[in-house]
Amino acid sequence: MTNYDPDKHPLIEMKGVTKAYNPRKGFFGRKGNKVLALNDIDLNIHKGEIFGLVGQSGSGKTTTGRLLVKLEDPTHGKIRLKGELINDLGGKPLQHFRSKVQMIFQDPYQSLNPHLSIAETISEPLVVHGIGSPESRREKVIQTLETVGLRPGKAFYNHYPHQLSGGQRQRVAVARAIVLDPEFIVADEPTSMLDATIAIQLLRLLSRIRDEFGMTFLFITHNLAAAKYLCDRVAVIHEGHIVEVNTAENIIRNPEHPYTKKLIKVQPGFRF
Amino acid sequence: MLNNHYVQRFVKGWRIFIKNPVGKAGIGILTVFMIMALASFCLPLFGPMYDPMTGIDPNIKISTPPSLTHWLGTDNVGRDIFAQLLEGAKVAFIVGLSSAFFSIVLGTVIGMVSGYAGGWVDAILMRTADIIMVMPSLVILLILASLFGQFNIWLIVFIIAIMRWPAVSRVIRSQTLSLKTRPFIEASRVAGASSVRIIFRHIMPNVLPLAFLYMTFRVTAAILVEAALSFLGFGDPSQVSWGMMLQWVWKSGHMFQAPYWLIPPGISISLLTLAFYMLGRAMDEVLDPRLRKEGQS
Amino acid sequence: MSLLSVDNLSIGYETKNGMVKAVDGISFSLEKGRPLGFVGESGCGKTTIGMTLMGLLPDNAKILSGSVRFQTQDLVRLTEDQWRSVRGKDIAMIFQAAMNALNPVYRVDDQVREAILAHRPDISDKELNHRIRELFELVEIPYERIHDYPHEYSGGMKQRVIIAMALACQPQVIIADEPTTALDVIVQDQILEELRAIQSKLNTGLIFISHDIAVVASICEDICVMYGGQIVETGTRKEVFSSPRHPYTKTLLGSYLSLDNEEHIIIPDMRESADLTLASGCCRFQANCTACDAACKSDQPTWIDISPTHKALCCDAGIIRNPHD
Ligand SMILES: Nc1ncnc2c1ncn2[C@@H]1O[C@H](COP(=O)(O)OP(=O)(O)O)[C@@H](O)[C@H]1O
Ligand SMILES: Nc1ncnc2c1ncn2[C@@H]1O[C@H](COP(=O)(O)OP(=O)(O)O)[C@@H](O)[C@H]1O
Ligand SMILES: [Mg+2]
Ligand SMILES: [Mg+2]
Repeated sequence: MTNYDPDKHPLIEMKGVTKAYNPRKGFFGRKGNKVLALNDIDLNIHKGEIFGLVGQSGSGKTTTGRLLVKLEDPTHGKIRLKGELINDLGGKPLQHFRSKVQMIFQDPYQSLNPHLSIAETISEPLVVHGIGSPESRREKVIQTLETVGLRPGKAFYNHYPHQLSGGQRQRVAVARAIVLDPEFIVADEPTSMLDATIAIQLLRLLSRIRDEFGMTFLFITHNLAAAKYLCDRVAVIHEGHIVEVNTAENIIRNPEHPYTKKLIKVQPGFRF
Repeated sequence: MLNNHYVQRFVKGWRIFIKNPVGKAGIGILTVFMIMALASFCLPLFGPMYDPMTGIDPNIKISTPPSLTHWLGTDNVGRDIFAQLLEGAKVAFIVGLSSAFFSIVLGTVIGMVSGYAGGWVDAILMRTADIIMVMPSLVILLILASLFGQFNIWLIVFIIAIMRWPAVSRVIRSQTLSLKTRPFIEASRVAGASSVRIIFRHIMPNVLPLAFLYMTFRVTAAILVEAALSFLGFGDPSQVSWGMMLQWVWKSGHMFQAPYWLIPPGISISLLTLAFYMLGRAMDEVLDPRLRKEGQS
Repeated sequence: MSLLSVDNLSIGYETKNGMVKAVDGISFSLEKGRPLGFVGESGCGKTTIGMTLMGLLPDNAKILSGSVRFQTQDLVRLTEDQWRSVRGKDIAMIFQAAMNALNPVYRVDDQVREAILAHRPDISDKELNHRIRELFELVEIPYERIHDYPHEYSGGMKQRVIIAMALACQPQVIIADEPTTALDVIVQDQILEELRAIQSKLNTGLIFISHDIAVVASICEDICVMYGGQIVETGTRKEVFSSPRHPYTKTLLGSYLSLDNEEHIIIPDMRESADLTLASGCCRFQANCTACDAACKSDQPTWIDISPTHKALCCDAGIIRNPHD
């Protein structure tokens, strides 16, 4: 990983990736049809960009994100991080990969363990990778809390998730994702459960983190406007196929695929 | 460090619990028996005559009804029944709690591992559980007893624990299965946490309340099994217990002559198991928010 | 005369931490054929209002003051028996996430039949079947599919069944509480289209609740913006959206991402959630308000008129009267 050249390889490269789920067996052992959540996907994400993945629910967005953080493995195809294949990682290399790639989940009420304090939650990645001493970890956690806008960090340190609002919880989830200084973060609809006034602040935070730390993001959303606001480039996904990839501007101004046009048409807005 | 969070959870649960009349009654009965068990430690203070095993009243050689010196009377060799009852309470707690504890620990760990690991680990553990679960535990105990003679009390505890973990592990396993796909577990996997860490750090605190609930029900079962074994004559003869007292009543032919001897241990067994059962029922309500009367927690 | 009028309604919830005033002194009236929208962040009391109009408040809720006039009755005084003849018949509600509450073991047409029979037990079989067919036509579910079970339906179709059930007895007022929140954007668009069509066809009274201002704007003629249990601004949709006056409305509109308003995004700094334990009538937005001064903490806000239909609740008339920041 030392001789990675961002000009030669994209940070993330998906090539011919297919993911099939075996649905539950039928009542009498009769097999149902396989669900092709992703069907032959090619995707490149460059270092330092916020890449948007937009589509309606069930189109395969979450599946893409889960493959990229290796919560699941593809049925076919290859996924590379910095030019290195991650399909069959195990042991030490997998552990190294885990320190480089993080995920922010959709539901802030489900993604924090109710029995762990905020400090325990955020320091977990540091603990499992054996980074720092208890004191230095404490410092790092407080510093990260402040980075994500939970100030003063000390005040939140010993809180539990139930003491926080949805927006604050999502900030904790962001803190957990960035505490290891990863290279790549998957954010799966991180604002879909939040009120508009809170959601926009979180988007702002993600964009600030990118600017400040140079992390690369995959931002998953069903909201084209949010993608346009935050992302450099956007891919539109429909029934497991990427139908269009372009800069956010161009996707909205000159959509090419009929599905993209439809998606633009149904975005709520103030047209009356 | 005593974790403030767990204290708060406990206090909150306790408040709901203590509002429940069933829970209150259970706690009440339990307290009485607890005092009795503790009182058994004070017996030596009253002289050797009140030793439940060897304390024979020199003036009495037969079973006598209640009197001032022997509140519940004496057994057929002149030992104090009240002293035996207190000692029996202690034994019931030891047998009940320790065998329940071991079976719950075993069941919880196996259930979590089985549910989280899945695959062949799950298959092997759960088939084993099935096999043990369908074995009639009392019959097995009787067969073992007839092979090896009478049991030491700790052997009984051990066997009950071995026989009784499967049901717990099934429940814990299904709970684990539903926790396993929750985002906070997945977040921890993405962060690089090992399976051992995920099981003990993330899954365990979430299944522990359920495990405790099962523990109260297991105590009931364990007390009954020990009483039955002792009554049937397979108990530890060097140890007084309620089941053993019943066995003595029966063996010495006092079944119908000495109600003062027969009734106290009989009632004690029923009441103590009932108390643990009530405790479990009330805890069930604490754990299941759907049963709560309050609109919001 | 208006179909439904609410006057100075306050509702509290009894909780461990004392009384929480989830709705604080709100007044509005609903006109036939003019959909009324309620918009505000989650927890601002929208569902509580809906539940009050259906007589379905939970046990720990208490109506502290006010009246709800519907036809000749004051709804807050109805007994449970009286409610039974109003609820579902004159006033119907599409509940939040109701589509997941369809009973999985009954066919959908049977569930709609049940809804009709509840209020018209003496209806003839012929009429009943006719009515069911009519309802499914109205919500555009193909006739062949009406005998299916709920799990055979998509989310959007389930929501249509819920709408059909709400319409079953030709209610005069329909309350739709976040009817599209659990749905996908594309399906949401279809359901909104459906609701608009039904509304203009049946011309009933419609109260539409959502946290999404654009969704409310696409359905409703009149808008009430809520914050912390109070209505802070009300007006026609044009007035509220093109000339918002209350600081909260401005924040809400400014932080709404849509494809057309990129330039006008303001990042709000909303740190605290509304304090519902404040005394009645206090400004609840003060902790988050950028224009707040000392007077806001002591004074009670008053309604300031901008036009006969447009008004906002604030301590400072200057802020409200001034259309620009
Ligand atoms: N664990 C799974 N088992 C079976 N099917 C699944 C599983 N996860 C996702 N799917 C299916 O894959 C498709 C894509 O799902 P997902 O990636 O979650 O979509 P999105 O996030 O865009 O809503 C859907 O049809 C979904 O039903
Ligand atoms: N049963 C209840 N008991 C106590 N508080 C409640 C109850 N239901 C709602 N609340 C509180 O009342 C407020 C308004 O809730 P609600 O009407 O559901 O808001 P909305 O529908 O706008 O999200 C919230 O702060 C909520 O926490
Ligand atoms: Mg998804
Ligand atoms: Mg609501």
